[in-house]
Amino acid sequence: MSDHTKASGPIPFRNPGWAGNTGSFDLTEAQVRGDDFVGVRPPDGGHPSGAPSYPYMKADKAPDAPLFEGPYRERFEKILTRYPETRAALLPTLNLAQELRGHISPDTMREVAVLLDLPEAYVRGVTSFYTMYNKKPVGRFLIQVCTNISCNLCGGDEVLAAFLKHTGTELGATSSDGDFTVMEVECLAACGTPTAVQINSRYYENVTPDGVPAILERLRARGE
Amino acid sequence: MAFPYEHEREVRILSRGWGDPRTRTLEGWKALGGYQALEKALRMPRGEVIDEVKASGLRGRGGAGFPTGVKWSFMPKEKTGPQYLCCNADESEPGTFKDRELLRWTPHQLIEGCLIAAHAIQADHVFIYCRGEFFEAVQVLARAVEEAYEAGLIGKDILGTGIDIELTVHSGAGAYICGEETALMNSLEGRRGLPRIKPPFPAAVGAFGRPTTINNVETLCAVPHIVQHGGAWYREQGTEKSSGTKLFCVSGHVVRPGNYELPLGFPLKDLIYDVCGGFRPGRSLKAVIPGGSSVPILNAAECEDCTLDYEGVVEAGSMLGCASVIIMDDTTDIVKQVRRMVDFYAHESCGQCTPCREGTQWMARILRRIEEGRGTEEDMDTLLDLGDQMTGTTICVLSDSAAAPVASSIAKFRDDYLALIRRGERVGAA
Amino acid sequence: MVETVTLTIDGQEVTVPKGTTILEAAETLGNRVPHYCYHPGLSRPAQCRLCLVEVEGAPKLQASCVTAAMPGQVVHTQSESARAQRRGVLEFYLKNHPLDCPICDQSGECKLQDYVHEEGRAHGRSREPKRVLGRDDFGGDVLFYGDRCVMCTRCVRFMNEMAQDPRLTVVERGNRSVIDTFFEEGLAGSPYAGNIVDICPVGALVSKDFLHKARAWDLDHIPSICPNCSQGCNIDLHVRDNLVQRLKPRDNPEVNQHWMCDYGRHRYEWMNHGTRLVAPARGRGEGLATGTWEAVLSDLADELAEAREAGLGVRALASPFASNEDLAALRDLVEALGGGEIVFRSPRADQEIPLPGFPKLVRRRDLAPNVRGAELLGMRRVGGEDASGGLESLVGFDGILLVMGDALLDAPEDFGAGARVLACLGTHPPRVAAGATHLLPIRTHAEGEGTFTNVEGRVQRFWPGLHAPGEARPAWQVLAFLAAALGAEGEVPALAAEAFARLAADHAPFQGLSYEVLGTRGALVNDPVSLPGA
Repeated sequence: MSDHTKASGPIPFRNPGWAGNTGSFDLTEAQVRGDDFVGVRPPDGGHPSGAPSYPYMKADKAPDAPLFEGPYRERFEKILTRYPETRAALLPTLNLAQELRGHISPDTMREVAVLLDLPEAYVRGVTSFYTMYNKKPVGRFLIQVCTNISCNLCGGDEVLAAFLKHTGTELGATSSDGDFTVMEVECLAACGTPTAVQINSRYYENVTPDGVPAILERLRARGE
Repeated sequence: MAFPYEHEREVRILSRGWGDPRTRTLEGWKALGGYQALEKALRMPRGEVIDEVKASGLRGRGGAGFPTGVKWSFMPKEKTGPQYLCCNADESEPGTFKDRELLRWTPHQLIEGCLIAAHAIQADHVFIYCRGEFFEAVQVLARAVEEAYEAGLIGKDILGTGIDIELTVHSGAGAYICGEETALMNSLEGRRGLPRIKPPFPAAVGAFGRPTTINNVETLCAVPHIVQHGGAWYREQGTEKSSGTKLFCVSGHVVRPGNYELPLGFPLKDLIYDVCGGFRPGRSLKAVIPGGSSVPILNAAECEDCTLDYEGVVEAGSMLGCASVIIMDDTTDIVKQVRRMVDFYAHESCGQCTPCREGTQWMARILRRIEEGRGTEEDMDTLLDLGDQMTGTTICVLSDSAAAPVASSIAKFRDDYLALIRRGERVGAA
Repeated sequence: MVETVTLTIDGQEVTVPKGTTILEAAETLGNRVPHYCYHPGLSRPAQCRLCLVEVEGAPKLQASCVTAAMPGQVVHTQSESARAQRRGVLEFYLKNHPLDCPICDQSGECKLQDYVHEEGRAHGRSREPKRVLGRDDFGGDVLFYGDRCVMCTRCVRFMNEMAQDPRLTVVERGNRSVIDTFFEEGLAGSPYAGNIVDICPVGALVSKDFLHKARAWDLDHIPSICPNCSQGCNIDLHVRDNLVQRLKPRDNPEVNQHWMCDYGRHRYEWMNHGTRLVAPARGRGEGLATGTWEAVLSDLADELAEAREAGLGVRALASPFASNEDLAALRDLVEALGGGEIVFRSPRADQEIPLPGFPKLVRRRDLAPNVRGAELLGMRRVGGEDASGGLESLVGFDGILLVMGDALLDAPEDFGAGARVLACLGTHPPRVAAGATHLLPIRTHAEGEGTFTNVEGRVQRFWPGLHAPGEARPAWQVLAFLAAALGAEGEVPALAAEAFARLAADHAPFQGLSYEVLGTRGALVNDPVSLPGA
């Protein structure tokens, strides 16, 4: 289909960012990400079947937002209808709380425990088991760089170093302007397009150290 | 089409719609013949559906390779209450990236497979457990599910057959271990993702204490095609014992990494040099991990005649796992990569079983010390011994998985270790 | 008829009920398979991986705590593979363990120490730095030393399943796992939390009360019955230097399973000190003087005989802290004096505190061990919930007043002033000592041997753990001597066993009971009470 299938020279990466910039096809970013089909899902969760499934990491967080009001309350109610036991709503509810507040504080755990009639210690035990729950506040953009084997073979460590350098932060810390928190993450299941980086809700693939400034610029400019 | 690369030796069944945004929609999926298999299956006695899948020889694509039809037949003959189907979309084995593509390009293929399977095992409710990081792919899936509900393909009285099946898309929150089927059930129930002891097996006591079957995304995606075209048709691809096509996730030092759908039994060397374009100029093959980070490493010699089917890879000295082929060229620091994998297992160990909880971390520490030039030759013996103690001694196989790359790399790349260790001795003496 | 299976463990055939696990089957042979997470009273996560044994025909070692014994199974607990497994697991435990046995309270009764000593590696191979978690105050009586923890999760499961007060959890995962509560919430106020210290197989959970107080190997363990309520939990007194250092529950599936409440556990100091009565005395007021037992008892016997001759009546005040034998001997003496009412006072709590996971175990309202025994011997409860008052029938009585074990702290100054004889048998000087004609020092239950009857009617034995002070004697002996002197039939018992035999012979509710019948778990009286949850 294209000359790339016969490529034997340098890996034919074009610009870094999403998987569509590699390979045999010319697709827009929206087409690869699926935005053409779904765009952004409604805060009330849409059909109940999907309500427990797609929390977002948002740039703008509301740490004091109530659990839950308005469309978020609707989504919470929908979540509760999908499981034979209330307990099963715990992960989706924590996801939702994190989407709103940006992290899961002890107070948030307590409120979720009350909402679902679960013991507080139990909620803490579950929350701490899962790494996606931020136990403390993070920056507007949570940058998670995969350094696991497939990305590592292709320079994941260097990409991580580049993010730290260009954001001026330490691993796990938040930059002084509050914009960036950079973390190392385990395999993101995008091993064919190394290095994979997750920034808030989005995957950035084929990221190279050289491409990092452009990504940060885009984040600052577009807020995503 | 394919995504991101295509190759003429591929046999694209599951990946047919990849790279074409239209296949995400109900309309686009139907244009490819979608949901005809569902229509057919729902009007078949469920036993016949299971028989067809048995006849196809389809084996679980999540790593264990257990025959899917046989697994389905373990479910109770007489239904006494709710039963569940869980779709394992918690894809997180390092090197594996096929399910994400299936979710985001062909969500209806998965939905259709789930519904057929649910009918076959009399499940009332399907839970698709997606890894939490898949924000984007899951959005696509959730929208497709919504469409299918609106079209009467999910819910009450599906296609006028009187069959009711609910489907829920559920997101995890970051834990590799939840890809283990019993840990997945615990996690789905809102618990810490700890693997359960077996027996009881999920077909007897599964999610929410009810009979449950768990299948991988790729397994379920193959089901509509098998129902549509027959088990015998599926067997035309692959080998006698490993039938059908498989998505090979190729990553690492090749020119064109990516997913390729190939018949099982495909030669590994052809995958590397032909399909994936080989290495960059001046580089050569050093090692391959053929089935995701949990399986033993193969050296270049072992790759020579290796065929990529369940039996062929075992013969070569490893396992097919989920066919995640991680390819390393001669610039690779094996010790560093093994350490990175063991770090991963230490990070992801659930912590219940002592050998895994303590052993993964201990191994990671030793490997880091060796990497930093402070290792000794005895450390290698210790690593091998720890690996023995971590193999076959725990509730699930995570600790076995951590031990496999360590033991195999010491056996096959001992010189890499020795180089670091001896450098360390010189540094220490200076 | 219970279905059974027969299997072979380490070359010995054993037959056990169907459903028994290999670990339990091995225990019936006396082969203890090392384990941490398994506890007979809790669920079985099979996660410590120490109890793995070789089962012929199985491809891998099997967790004996959850693998059911099957007919014809051949099990090896001592095979090379099973031993290698244990050696390996033990090395894993020691990898991050601080090896602080010299300052650890568990030292000497620590399962990690024991197992490593038995079959651990001679030398550890770890060269890596150890993980350091430090110490955490869990509130209540519980201290947590995270570095010693083996992550068996017995404590978490106890709080979830037994106390049903799920305040403990595993936090984090993998090697970073640690036991904790909800941040600063702690365990304070949880009425059964002390049990997690007992079931912790290592020194991770320790009692603040016992912290650095005694070494485990210096403690004598004396089987006893908790005297702090009428449940009758089976306990051990842990004694050093003639002082009770702590109470620990002792298994009895009929009464307390493996558990006891914190209320009972922490009330032992009273057994240790206070101003004790140490010598018998006679004479009222200023004339009160100590004498030999022989002199005081023969004087008392004479006075009792005279009073009986004079046709004076007898009334008695007993104590629910006294044993069945003591109470029966008091009853016998009162009968020998012509018969009369015996009353007792017992402190009562506002409410019961059940253990939800084993509801038969309740911290009862009666905060004394033998209320039921006193009632079965025809004694009547008087007074208020705080064990005061109710003395109206005794205060102005002019006949023989016998007081046993009640210190009469709330009695009026002139209590018993009009009585011909006021004989007080007690461990501590009664408030009315000045008005007594005779003071007779007796032993506490911790110092003597005897039985209590619990709320359900279960008669249970206790054994002496402390030396009695001075010349204190068992009350049953003193009372039986007096009854004999007054012409009652039968020999004066010299041993507690004889006192119990006499009790069983003479008092209908106890008929048919003997030490053999009681065994180690006690036996019910002839008209037991049926309890909820029993």
